[in-house]
Amino acid sequence: MAKVTITIDDREYEVDEGQNLLHACLGLKKNLPYFCWHPAMGSVGACRQCAVIEYMARDDTRGRLIISCMTPVRDGGVYSLEDERAQSFRAGIIEKMMVNHPHDCPVCEEGGECHLQDMTLMSAHTMRRYSGRKRTFNNQNLGPFINHEMNRCITCYRCVRYYQDYAGGRDLQALGRNQQVYFGRAEDGRLENGFSGNLVEVCPTGVFTDKTFSRRFVRKWDLQTAPSVCEHCGVGCNTAPGARDDGKGDPRKLRRVVNLYHRDINGYFLCDRGRFGYEYANSPERILQPLQADTQPLIQSTAAAGEKIHRPLPPQDAVAQLADIIEEARLGKRRLLGIGSTRTSLENNYALKTLVGPANFYAGVSAGTLQLLHLVNAIQQDPQIHSPSTPEIEQADAVLILGEDISNTAPRIALAVRQAAAEQQRQRARALDIPLWQDASVRQLDSPPTPIFIAAVEGTDLDGIARETVYATPDEIAELALEVVNQLPGAVTESQTEASDSLATQIARALASARKPLIVCGCGLQSPALLRAAAALAKALAANPVNSEGTASCALYLACADANSLGLTQLCSEQQHLEQLLSETAQENSLPSTLLAMEVDLFWQLPDEQAARILHGNQLIQLDSLYNHTSRFAQLLLPSAATPESEGTFVNSSGLAQRYYTVYEPSGYIQESWRWLANATAACAARAGGVEKIPALADMAQWQHVTQVSAAMAAGIPQLSPLSELGPDWNTLVAGAPVARQSHRFSGRTALQAEVAVAEQPPPRDPDAPMAFSMEGIQFAGYSPLQANIWAPGWNSDQAIHKFQNQPGGERAPAASGQSLRRATKVFEIQVTDTGVPKTPVNADLLTTLPLYRLFGSGELSRRARSIATVVGQAFVHLHPDDARALALCAGEQVCLPGSDTTFEVKITAVAPQRCIGISAGYSSPQAVVAMSPQDIRPFVENPQGNSS
Amino acid sequence: MTNPEPHSVPNPLTKNITADNVATPIDRYRENDGYCGLLKALELSPQAVIDSVQAAGLRGRGGAGFNTGLKWSFVPDQDKVPGPRYLVCNADEMEPGTFKDRLLMERDPHLLLEGMAIAAYAIGAERAFIFIRGEYFLATERLQRAIDEARAAGLLGKNIGGNRFSLDIYLHRSSGNYICGEETALLNALEGKRAIPRAKPPFPQVSGLWGQPTVVNNVETLCNLPHLISHGEEWYRQLGRHKDTGTKLFGVSGRVKNPGVWELPMGTPVREIIEQYAGGMLDGFRLKGFLPGGGSTDFLTPDHLDLAMDYDVIGEAGSRMGTGTITILDDHSCPLGLTLNLQQFFARESCGWCTPCRDGLPWVVEILTRLESGNGRAQDLDLLEELATGMGPGNTFCALAPGAAEPLLSALKYFREDFERHLQYGGCPFADDRRALLLPA
Repeated sequence: MAKVTITIDDREYEVDEGQNLLHACLGLKKNLPYFCWHPAMGSVGACRQCAVIEYMARDDTRGRLIISCMTPVRDGGVYSLEDERAQSFRAGIIEKMMVNHPHDCPVCEEGGECHLQDMTLMSAHTMRRYSGRKRTFNNQNLGPFINHEMNRCITCYRCVRYYQDYAGGRDLQALGRNQQVYFGRAEDGRLENGFSGNLVEVCPTGVFTDKTFSRRFVRKWDLQTAPSVCEHCGVGCNTAPGARDDGKGDPRKLRRVVNLYHRDINGYFLCDRGRFGYEYANSPERILQPLQADTQPLIQSTAAAGEKIHRPLPPQDAVAQLADIIEEARLGKRRLLGIGSTRTSLENNYALKTLVGPANFYAGVSAGTLQLLHLVNAIQQDPQIHSPSTPEIEQADAVLILGEDISNTAPRIALAVRQAAAEQQRQRARALDIPLWQDASVRQLDSPPTPIFIAAVEGTDLDGIARETVYATPDEIAELALEVVNQLPGAVTESQTEASDSLATQIARALASARKPLIVCGCGLQSPALLRAAAALAKALAANPVNSEGTASCALYLACADANSLGLTQLCSEQQHLEQLLSETAQENSLPSTLLAMEVDLFWQLPDEQAARILHGNQLIQLDSLYNHTSRFAQLLLPSAATPESEGTFVNSSGLAQRYYTVYEPSGYIQESWRWLANATAACAARAGGVEKIPALADMAQWQHVTQVSAAMAAGIPQLSPLSELGPDWNTLVAGAPVARQSHRFSGRTALQAEVAVAEQPPPRDPDAPMAFSMEGIQFAGYSPLQANIWAPGWNSDQAIHKFQNQPGGERAPAASGQSLRRATKVFEIQVTDTGVPKTPVNADLLTTLPLYRLFGSGELSRRARSIATVVGQAFVHLHPDDARALALCAGEQVCLPGSDTTFEVKITAVAPQRCIGISAGYSSPQAVVAMSPQDIRPFVENPQGNSS
Repeated sequence: MTNPEPHSVPNPLTKNITADNVATPIDRYRENDGYCGLLKALELSPQAVIDSVQAAGLRGRGGAGFNTGLKWSFVPDQDKVPGPRYLVCNADEMEPGTFKDRLLMERDPHLLLEGMAIAAYAIGAERAFIFIRGEYFLATERLQRAIDEARAAGLLGKNIGGNRFSLDIYLHRSSGNYICGEETALLNALEGKRAIPRAKPPFPQVSGLWGQPTVVNNVETLCNLPHLISHGEEWYRQLGRHKDTGTKLFGVSGRVKNPGVWELPMGTPVREIIEQYAGGMLDGFRLKGFLPGGGSTDFLTPDHLDLAMDYDVIGEAGSRMGTGTITILDDHSCPLGLTLNLQQFFARESCGWCTPCRDGLPWVVEILTRLESGNGRAQDLDLLEELATGMGPGNTFCALAPGAAEPLLSALKYFREDFERHLQYGGCPFADDRRALLLPA
């Protein structure tokens, strides 16, 4: 980017050409107050807060007031931020905004991290001169996630600009005019957009605040925090969870989650599942201590066959029991089989794999899912395919979404695709010399919609920005992708669209003429054929000469379900899945078997009947954070740490390994799964008389730090070797000081535990990272990427992030986390004629089953978060009107499906393929069948005949 | 409302307007050279029309006084910005004290339609919109009838006058917001969005209605086009008495003997308008000051009576000619009360987009209300001045707040004594006066 030289208050600077002056000033780390500008949303010039003086030339002493966010930097431009007129104008703006502001900071949830507070101080407005009455509003109930307190509003319009323009929401508007502008809904009700939680951070004051946080509120400065990675889908958004121990033994220490800027993944925004899903960690269903199955069956128990009643067990006894089993297995008296998890860290999985041995380690997913994950892994190894970063997705100029409902399975990616919809407008703006940051001016431009095509199994949130949508079965969508491949050669030569073009031809033309085409697909529809077809199309596009500046690769985003889906894939072969485990345990074996299920609910991954068969006749030891269906069958239950309670590594859907850090010490006897396993191994070693006596487990028995587990993996598994560079880097400490998790204003340090003991308790030590659970240490995020409390002098709100970027919206400095897996480059061989698209089922009477995902409801952990649970709703099936008619089912009716105790509500929608039944995913165990007979769908009867007494 | 005396000066704008309150029907309009300007324009190239209008020195009658031909010339070529062009007629006449466009639309709607057709031809628009004030029911009705008449006569629609030019005119009634008179807010409102102004640049000529090149012209401006084109720019230039060209509708409201609106040459002195046409002040009232061109212009005083009503002359005197409709302040009326009335209007009509306007104007109202009710403080006048200065041009997003600041700042300048008397008197010193004269409050 070309540079220009500008002078600000008599000092010269080089800044990027074409930027606005506010952006340039913030990039230079100058303190210039603003409200309506937002780094991700550009300028609109509404608040007038960022006014400065511009001089015509160096000898001009008068100058004139300009609004810096609306003024492009001019080469040779001379500006003053400190000029008295500019300063008093800015103070005047704040004073006017404050005319109606209630000054209720002491009772406002935003207080202490309020941009309005910061800007007020920065503008030096101190004396209130307005003496009239303040205008007041009635507030709305916006649902379980967000508070509404309109009297605090300073009318910067950020909320509607974010909600409508950026996130595509429709149910939040600016209403009324003059001083009475009201930001709200037409009527009370939950904000419908799946990214509504960002309003909490977008609003510069306390109009929109986090309701889940308000319930057990503390000030920002009283939270302790550390960098974390969201565990609720495969995107890998960076988060900064905040926790506080109330000192009274309440195990619910996690208070909230806020965004942690990562340019290439989440930028400034999170989805609502990621923001509000944290409450699972505070659930009353958390396992806080080891539990053991009671040998005495309870009289009148409602437990079904095989289900156990648990009672607490001292942790040392639990470790001893586990050590017994390991011992037996080591001596060949018992078979120990490990079941790993896609929702926990590489380290935990690796520890389990080490303990049980590679041959006895199974991925805790179905055969179909594991095949898909290995397919994703293989596709991503192809040199012609690259996984796009979020900024790349936002700038795509043609998009094809193949089946994956990213709004519900990889929400942050859907938000990025939504930004791509404005690409044509941006191109027109460039032609008209309108700067892209001049947001409203770009959005008003007339332009054809960006060619976004969506093939889906139901209506999606992105349909509104699509040029064409088609609703089809996964097989039909795969066929469409292959048809596009076939149309590509012709499309490259003639790009003029004609009315008679088939959809495939239209898509082919759009993709072929795009400079930055993007294909989005994923594992959601459980179709390997679809993934192969997507890969075939991406490879064909990569060979297209027009494509993206000669890089000869095509952007293909493949969504995987869980936070560590791709990570687990690195640790097991394609055959090590649960069905394989089932056949393994079903085989005649003289040895008793113990299943070690780690952070996996078999009933979530498999149909009830299969899960039950795996458990049948085998002893089960489970490590998990939440009590789930599988836990009922466990002989021994060990409490595992949730993501914010532990340190580890996730590999996201793009193959980026990211480390998350312990935010707070968990309650009770909770600890990381790997630590339970290592403890038991150490106990084994002690009994055997030393680690050298158990050579296979010698290393593991000595593991003390999670970094030792990471190092072992990095050394042993080639594609995971970048883990050694992930950090944490113990050598970068400033003067040997760790990074402080608590802010320098943290209060109550000596008082919190006073009920327990008058003497101040030493803070817990963190053996895994150079971080302290106290106020001592590095406070400044500029010194260490491990500091997740984004704070700078004068900037208490999240807006402080620009102090730690090379420029607003740029890279975090020091660099953000993440290392790409070092996977071997391998061409993904695929013949267009042989993608495994099955022919239409012979039996036309069957209904194809389709999994349907929901932001709230399809997340295994998030659906158990308190607030999310209130909006999850009932399990449902989707039917096309014709099929519903044929089945004589009405909307709202309750039905049962084979092999499931759940009742499903019938929903009828025309935006669905025919001869299919869509089934809500995550509301019940998955269905065993890919196609079901209509006779299998039975109406639910409240009191079945024969059961009545 | 028309001139009671026989016209002694050329009146091309109002030549069809009689004492009867009827709209000039199309046949009578055509008999009196109607649509000749359009037919002549269609003989010329669009560029020639633009050049002619620019050379004639026609300045925007909405208040800003920008050269109309020059404004049109900023519409880019099709190669630079392809796609449709739009013409929008700003008929959202809401400036306090202004009622000139209404006269033209109610009495001679075809004049506007012909002017619009000429402008549309010049800028290459095939669709034009009239954005009309919602309360102008009669004008709406008559304009719609005129549009139907013109379409039936082949003067609107496809291939006008056998030529290749086509034009459809749509009438859109405003839902009522002063800000819609701001051309970019008008465009947003026309698109069905919130009526808030847009940032400039890009100017509407580049990115206007639905992001396409658009020209927004005032009713009276467009009504000048038929005779300008018919008689040529030289003739048109001669109409003015001073530097500015053409004729203009001037109005007077307030305590004068004959309030109304008259078509007069540009540059007619204020004194002549007030004393000759408006008949001078009512008996017992003296002229204390006047707003020369609507509620958003600076007060002038009797010292300025001999100024010519010309954009630059009034501008140099520290005010703006604005819409050319004069509001009289008499010696029995409270300048503070008049200012408060205006500020209440502007505060209410603020769109709420930018801070100095949205939050500054209600504060001004609060202070003026206190002063008027006797609860003023010594520092209030300085605060008023500070607030008004803070709303100066460039400090706010559009011209609404600077317009509101004009009468306030000038009132503080010329009538500061009266403001101070409110402080000393502990209320409005004109209140007793009003009661004695049985005047409304």
